[in-house]
Amino acid sequence: MKTFTNVNPKSVQEAVKLLGQQGKTTAVVGGGSDLLGMVKERLIQPDILVNLKTIPGLDKITEQGGEVRIGGLTTLATISQDPTIRSRYKVLADAAGAVGTPQIRNAGTIAGNVSQRPWCWYFRNGFPCFKNGGKTCFSIAGENEFHAIFGGGPSYIVHPSDTAPALVALDAKFRIAGPAGERTIAASEFFAPPSKDPSRENVLAHDEVLVEIHLPAAPRGLRSTYHKELDRESWTHAIVSVAVALEMDRDFCKKARVVLGGVAPIPWRLPKVEAMLAGKRITPELAAQAGAASIEGAQPLAKNKYKLPLTKAIVKRTLTAVAA
Amino acid sequence: MTTLNSVGHATPRIDALKRVTGGATYTADIAVPNMLYARVLRSPHPHARIRKIDLSKAQALPGVKTILTHDNCDIIWSSGDTRNKRYLFNNPVRFAGDAVAAVAAVDRYVAEEALRLIEVDYETLPFVLEPEEALKPDAPEIQPGGNLSPNNQGKAEPAIEKRGNIEEGFKAADHVFEDRYQTPHINNAQLEPRASMAHWEGDKLIVYASTQGIANCRTDIAKDMKIPVEKVQVICQYMGGGFGNKNQCHDFDLMAAELSKRADAPVRLEFTRKEDFISVHGRWPTVQYYKVGVKNDGMLTAIQMRGYSGMGPYRKGAGDISGVEVYQVPHVEKTSYMVYTNKAVSANFRAPAYPQGVFALESVMDDAAHGLKMDPLEFRLKNYTRKFRDQQPYSSSGLEDCLRKGAERFGWKQRWRPAAADTGVVKRGVGMGMGMFPSSLGRSNAILRVDSKGNYDVHVGVTDCGTAAKTTMALIAAEALEAPLDRITVIWGDTDTCPYSVGESGSRTTVFTGQAVIEAAKDLKKQIAEKGLPKGDQFWRADAAPNPQLRDLARYSFTAHFAEVEVDTETGHIRVTKFVAAHDSGRIVNPLTAESQVKGGATTGIGMALHEQLLYDKRSGLPLTAGYYNARIMTHMDAPEIEVVWVETDDPYGPYGAKTLGEPTIIPAVAAVANAFFNATGKRVKELPLTRDKVLGALSEGALA
Repeated sequence: MKTFTNVNPKSVQEAVKLLGQQGKTTAVVGGGSDLLGMVKERLIQPDILVNLKTIPGLDKITEQGGEVRIGGLTTLATISQDPTIRSRYKVLADAAGAVGTPQIRNAGTIAGNVSQRPWCWYFRNGFPCFKNGGKTCFSIAGENEFHAIFGGGPSYIVHPSDTAPALVALDAKFRIAGPAGERTIAASEFFAPPSKDPSRENVLAHDEVLVEIHLPAAPRGLRSTYHKELDRESWTHAIVSVAVALEMDRDFCKKARVVLGGVAPIPWRLPKVEAMLAGKRITPELAAQAGAASIEGAQPLAKNKYKLPLTKAIVKRTLTAVAA
Repeated sequence: MTTLNSVGHATPRIDALKRVTGGATYTADIAVPNMLYARVLRSPHPHARIRKIDLSKAQALPGVKTILTHDNCDIIWSSGDTRNKRYLFNNPVRFAGDAVAAVAAVDRYVAEEALRLIEVDYETLPFVLEPEEALKPDAPEIQPGGNLSPNNQGKAEPAIEKRGNIEEGFKAADHVFEDRYQTPHINNAQLEPRASMAHWEGDKLIVYASTQGIANCRTDIAKDMKIPVEKVQVICQYMGGGFGNKNQCHDFDLMAAELSKRADAPVRLEFTRKEDFISVHGRWPTVQYYKVGVKNDGMLTAIQMRGYSGMGPYRKGAGDISGVEVYQVPHVEKTSYMVYTNKAVSANFRAPAYPQGVFALESVMDDAAHGLKMDPLEFRLKNYTRKFRDQQPYSSSGLEDCLRKGAERFGWKQRWRPAAADTGVVKRGVGMGMGMFPSSLGRSNAILRVDSKGNYDVHVGVTDCGTAAKTTMALIAAEALEAPLDRITVIWGDTDTCPYSVGESGSRTTVFTGQAVIEAAKDLKKQIAEKGLPKGDQFWRADAAPNPQLRDLARYSFTAHFAEVEVDTETGHIRVTKFVAAHDSGRIVNPLTAESQVKGGATTGIGMALHEQLLYDKRSGLPLTAGYYNARIMTHMDAPEIEVVWVETDDPYGPYGAKTLGEPTIIPAVAAVANAFFNATGKRVKELPLTRDKVLGALSEGALA
């Protein structure tokens, strides 16, 4: 571990200023559950850690005009247990509750979860890949059982966040503070494919802070859930997951959002599946068709073809379960 | 069996409170004034020659005290390799993780920074990871003399074991079943991280180690440091698991000692978890070709096995592939190749040669039963060993009872159906496996003392690697002395205050050191009978060093495990829904901690079946899954309820008839789960672990290949 200085700003503006210091490597720290491990492994070597936990008010869940706002520092445990989130945005509570372990959920924050770095073993073991500043992705011809089947290239990581697919499914907005003030963008615009810049997973600039997440008022009849497949019973990232949000009118689906996790470098929306479901009664047959359609266009690597039947199965099942 | 007063009663560990309240001092907790911190630089290449090491920048860093490399240190770590000279720092380096340098500095951050400033000029060499590949003529040579590690006679030949005539055995068979099986390198993954703290008082070396055997550790250190054994003190008061990878002294004990000597200060050397996974050792990976012959009635006629064990580049472990003895069969031929590779070193891990051997053996036996349309339990009842290698009687055997009573508790009759009986998406299946493990006898020591108030001290050289050995010794002493447990004080874990103990390896402590406690207690009781209790500050003392031997008998512990799984055939998810472990380990000294042993061993076996492995990147030869997260070590959420059935045989040897327990607990667990998967689905996965890619691949009939 390289020695660093920890700074405790009192406001977001101060944090942004600290992050933008010239001549210093800086990193923002919230729960620190992953960041400190990366510092120890020297995957990042910041001179200064800007600690957001001393800024008051960033860990609250509030309501404004039907919209629910979640402070970036709200822990995953809080979100998974919050009565409002659980009743109106179940997919997010499910996803937050599916992250890691109780210890990680108690420390880890929502902002940290959506912006965490990938868990590709080449990246985490310090191989000189795109994510470590190199010019290649080792997974393409390597051990790629956990890598992308959609949207890969030139990097084939999968986005590791459980809450990210849920937030895309809920059409959340991310409020971001930076040196030039604030901007608010859709969750789907926050995550960036590797074709843009293979070293990064999102559009958050180095001197920006993800301050708050806004969930639009839950439409009537919104039913949602998150399903995660792990390769042991806890403490792994999704090998495949699916976030489903359906606006139901009795047993008709008015509008659907279906987003996969664990299969692509970004939360992977399935517009075609969503269109198949809109305006229909979700029968087991339709759910099965949606499952089959969910893997259309997938380009598996040598060792992750198993993700195809797995994706099919959980899309089918999750849709059936939500509609039931 | 007669009921005893202390032995056989569930008793909490005598150090439990200290352990759970933070009062126990583990090796990495030990700090003394002026102590330096040491870190090790490791090879980033699987195979490379070091052209030059430039220490100038590292030495210039303020706070750096001493640096060891192959240029300035030629200490041989003799227990690190039983065939070749293995230095603390080798050139060439032969696996990613081989030690290149060790630095002692004023704190751990300076030591780590110094590692980064050491400039090593490597000439990378070709490498090979898999044992079968390593035996090909054009494979890169890892040790002089080739990649086939010499057998016990010192010849570069496979180890061969024959009984009967294998060709006759196959001729006599009505059916022959054969297949290839593969198991990966798996790390012991003990909870306690690795550390060693060494310091010198004049010419005396004191090492705080995290070791399963203080006596062996002491002898090894003395030998390699070339000092008399009396000049070495090894202390280990509390340790947090080892499962076989803390048996001997280790290179880092020697590095700490040498750094301490040169820096003239105490040195604590610490490992990261990743280092622990790649640079010590794990279970040897294997490739096994099995061929078995059976008659129409299910009787075995022949077992042939050709196996390849990947030992890493140094021969630290035995490398054999065991388990065949559990079957009664007239014709046996086993050929085992112990092969050097450029992976992490392989050596002892809980029943070192067994779980991987029994996985393959019990898979092919399961195929045989299936092929004959026999209940696998019936097949095993027909064929289990009656005499060791069909020749030597056992001192006691509860194997049949393990099979019968285990099956009864499990509900085998109600649960077993022919393979792939379920037609739904989620398929249920049951599987079983059986195993045995030597419960040898041999030398160990104990010293007992009594004072004027009738309080007893029991001095035993155990460290208690998690088996509750201290408590076991207290119970045996209480029984033998006919004294209540609260009159007994156990003194352990320090070679200056404790006599020789065999070390907590080979599951021998209860039997070996327990017997010594009994013998010393007999002596002490005799003294008390003759002289009465001592007066004032006096005490009576009894030393015992028994070395019991078996004549014309084989002494083994036996076990049978039964597992039920549910396999979701759409997602490939496997869940163990029921698990019964039946064990004959003779008399059970402490049922409470013995049950924990079984649960721990079986859980480790389930993890080995389902998801654990140290996976390598084939192109770079570097490990990808070093650490708890990526190696997919079992979590609490993965561990099913494990029911334990004791089959207590009255063995005429061992303390109160106790036999070995620690290691048998893992042996058939892997096979039971793998066989349950086969029974559920009718598909056999022949390569561990049963991860989604392999499971869904098998279920898709090759459509995903």
